[in-house]
Amino acid sequence: MSNSALGAAAVSIGVACALAGIVVVALGLAGRRPKWFSDASLLVAVMAAAGVIAFAVMERALITRDFTVAFVAEHGSHQTPALFNFATLWSALEGSIILWTLILCGYVVAVVRKFRDRRDDPMVAWALLTLFVVCLFFFGLMLGPAAPFGTFDPPIGYDGPGPNPLLQNHILMAFHPPVLYLGYVGFTVPFAFAISALVTGRVGEGWLLITRRWTVMAWGFLTLGIVLGAWWSYETLGWGGYWAWDPVENASFLPWLTGTAYLHSVMVQERRGMLRVWNLSLVVSTFSLTILGTFITRSGVLQSVHAFVESGIGPAILSFFALIVVVSLGLIAWRGDELRAPGSIDSPVSREGAFLANNVAFAAFAFVVLLGTIFPLIVEAIDGRTISVGNPYFDRMTMPIGFVLLFMMGVAPVLPWRKASGEVLSQRLIWPAWIGAAAMVIAALIGARGWAPMLAFGLGGFAGGAAARQLVLATRRQGWRGFVGRTNGGMIVHFGVVLIAVAFAASNAYVRQGEFNLLPGQTAELSGHTLTYEGSDFREYSNRSERTARISIDGGQAYEPGIATYPFAGQTIGVPSVRSTWRDDVALSVLKFPEGANDAVLLRATIQPLVVWLWIGGLVMAAGTVLAVMPGRRRNPLLPVSAPVETHEPIDVPQ
Amino acid sequence: MNRQMFSWLGVLVVVGSMLVFASVDDGGPATNAERAYDLAKDFACPVCHGQSVAQSDVVVARNIRREIRVWVDEGQSDDFIREQLVDRFGEDIDYTPSSEGITSLVWILPVVAGAVALGGLIVVFRRWRVDGDVSATAEDEELVAAAREDQ
Amino acid sequence: MSSGDEAPQPRPVLWVVAAVSVVAALLLLLLATGKPASERATDGRILGRVAPLIEGPTIDNGWYDIDQLRGQWVVVNFFSTTCVPCIREHPELVKFDQRHAPTGDASVVSISFDDSADAVIEFFADNGGDWPVLTENTGSVAVNYGVTAVPESYLVAPSGIVAAKLVGGVTADDLDGQMARLTQEASS
Repeated sequence: MSNSALGAAAVSIGVACALAGIVVVALGLAGRRPKWFSDASLLVAVMAAAGVIAFAVMERALITRDFTVAFVAEHGSHQTPALFNFATLWSALEGSIILWTLILCGYVVAVVRKFRDRRDDPMVAWALLTLFVVCLFFFGLMLGPAAPFGTFDPPIGYDGPGPNPLLQNHILMAFHPPVLYLGYVGFTVPFAFAISALVTGRVGEGWLLITRRWTVMAWGFLTLGIVLGAWWSYETLGWGGYWAWDPVENASFLPWLTGTAYLHSVMVQERRGMLRVWNLSLVVSTFSLTILGTFITRSGVLQSVHAFVESGIGPAILSFFALIVVVSLGLIAWRGDELRAPGSIDSPVSREGAFLANNVAFAAFAFVVLLGTIFPLIVEAIDGRTISVGNPYFDRMTMPIGFVLLFMMGVAPVLPWRKASGEVLSQRLIWPAWIGAAAMVIAALIGARGWAPMLAFGLGGFAGGAAARQLVLATRRQGWRGFVGRTNGGMIVHFGVVLIAVAFAASNAYVRQGEFNLLPGQTAELSGHTLTYEGSDFREYSNRSERTARISIDGGQAYEPGIATYPFAGQTIGVPSVRSTWRDDVALSVLKFPEGANDAVLLRATIQPLVVWLWIGGLVMAAGTVLAVMPGRRRNPLLPVSAPVETHEPIDVPQ
Repeated sequence: MNRQMFSWLGVLVVVGSMLVFASVDDGGPATNAERAYDLAKDFACPVCHGQSVAQSDVVVARNIRREIRVWVDEGQSDDFIREQLVDRFGEDIDYTPSSEGITSLVWILPVVAGAVALGGLIVVFRRWRVDGDVSATAEDEELVAAAREDQ
Repeated sequence: MSSGDEAPQPRPVLWVVAAVSVVAALLLLLLATGKPASERATDGRILGRVAPLIEGPTIDNGWYDIDQLRGQWVVVNFFSTTCVPCIREHPELVKFDQRHAPTGDASVVSISFDDSADAVIEFFADNGGDWPVLTENTGSVAVNYGVTAVPESYLVAPSGIVAAKLVGGVTADDLDGQMARLTQEASS
């Protein structure tokens, strides 16, 4: 059976299983089919198998360069190295949907396995129903607008163009999309349970506790995926930029913002039963924003260096987004009364108050990012003009919110529940405050200037100090277990955030760029570094030819930025070279090669301090997330709520 | 307690002076090259998909970077340079939305939303404090007194 | 969300849901009607304005000043020696130049977009064309005309106003047609 036929068959089976699954679960909920769960499990297994087959078939077609499959004919190539053929799957639209669907099937299988002991619980049933609907949508996309298994009749000796050259030359391309999708798709599960909670009316804490680990893991993957994306951008695109407030980047950031708010806000619902509407809204928003993000990335409505080539998939995704919003809002409005919390927040200066303020801050952040991203569309619709909204807007608008969040990262961990007294706060915060002050002094001594980065360093020290304080106390009490569990893992994640915030502030404020015409042997100077052009080389590879310039930095090792020509794609791209040290990064790219052997090269150098700490901070956040899902000390249910915060295992809420 | 107050005072003094120091001594005026680069970051490359003039490698961007540098060397103001570029390439070359006309909305809306959010928080907190004030009423006091006497 | 007894108030949740629904609906409408980014045309903002100054040495050591050519049509052509449409349109420019050389009512000037002087000299030696060609300070000229890609040709009327912008390569007949059309419009 040809690859195309096999793949198309798998997609059809997937659609059929999703449809059948919806019917079976509906029958089960109506009481007409007592063994619905077994049937549904079977359907999930078959559907997942279909997803795996579709994935495997396409990968096989890519690796064997089977050009009878249209997708491979358009994106594969004999010239592309083997590993990148594997990653070619997600370098283009149709393949990326295959990946998404595969991951989604994986999550649904995990849900069915994990909850098989609760098969009689209508909550699980409704969640499964929701999941089947989402699966139906994605399999449906592959059946219709984004069909990947179309056939092609290759002429003799045909060779495809390969993926976009920008997507061929870095190993991170193999990791960034799958990790990112693990995050995006992961939020489908908490969403499904939120819908389930609303439908069944059980809007208490049960659904939160069930899905807590899922949420944290999805969030962890999303965080790591975004950081990997920034890292890859930075290494590939040559101008030392890792974040440009580009529409596609913003699209991935929005669900992260609401997801982070949700992660924190659920603690209030667990402890005090409050902020239910917030939590439901946040989890629904997070999932909706992942779908909206998918739309922005694939519809071509907004220009971006990251966007997939625009396709006809837009209307389908937008309709799905509309459906989700309508259903969610409708359910929340319907259950409005039952969402009233039994208690209320006693004092703004308390952990509950801080988390509420946190929700508001993240919501404001998301609002600003969303507004800035779609504002050009608004102006075009009203006035017909084309405008741009870029860095200056986002930096200026998000900076104050960033400062507020940093400050709260310092204060909230030491705030007790219910009410804090000034003395408690003062006693707990004095050390972090001094660490913040010391950070500012040290920064000034190293040469930092400008009030905004200085404030960032101070607040970073403050927040880092608060996190460190918590960890010190926990390890003093529990030894190595003081690093494990939700609170302590969370503090490590906070630490990672501080690293990123400080690195972001420094690299943005103190970046320097210069363009230099250098003859062989000439030296240029920038920001305390010397760059010497030694000569140029020419190399041929299987899929490209590269001309590189040897640049020696500070008289040391030579780095080789260059320009690569991909004959089959008909494209020429720049290949930057970056020297990273703990202190700063020197990013080199060649703008123009000399015509003759002894002519000048046009070199661009960008020097940014502390960039490495962005990636380290991201890895720390990922490590903290892993530590956070590991079980900590059991919570003693007899302890009053105003006792000092401890880590705890979730209490399984009985039906 | 007193010692702690002094400690906090110390923190405030250090932080305050560092902030003042950092804003006053900002490393000297930017060189022309730095100023040109900062300006280039704020304009979109007209032919690229979402890269700034500073980031892009294409000829158009290089030309514009060179022109910006020429204008900076001539001593022109930022506003002049912005006007020139918008005049030649259209409004969408400017990454900073104008603060006049309908585009001012993008600046105003977040501030309004922020004010509304802050106001909402204050109102909600105040209402909770008023409603949720748990303090002993006169009846409670009598109950306790009676219980004590019974001992 | 408050404890204690009080008069029933309109449920805040409903208000919030209503507000969010309106915003969401607007957002959907906006996204559904947005044009794909690639369809947004880049306009010729220079049209109708006085032609920006072009002045400088030519590759055959002459001096060129466009302001001295008031009274005749000038085709300002931005090109690059390696761009395929530029190479394709070059013979057409030669044809156009030769057509109007006797009457002197139209001339061409070429502005190099990103080549070295040597490459341009070689190009013209190989492909013909003896009109003024500038290679120095051309980036500035390109920015002043708002050039975003090559080839682009700007038709400057005898009055000194930029009357037409042609992208993607021209033919001699295109240029003549434009000139005729614009002359007719001006006189009517």
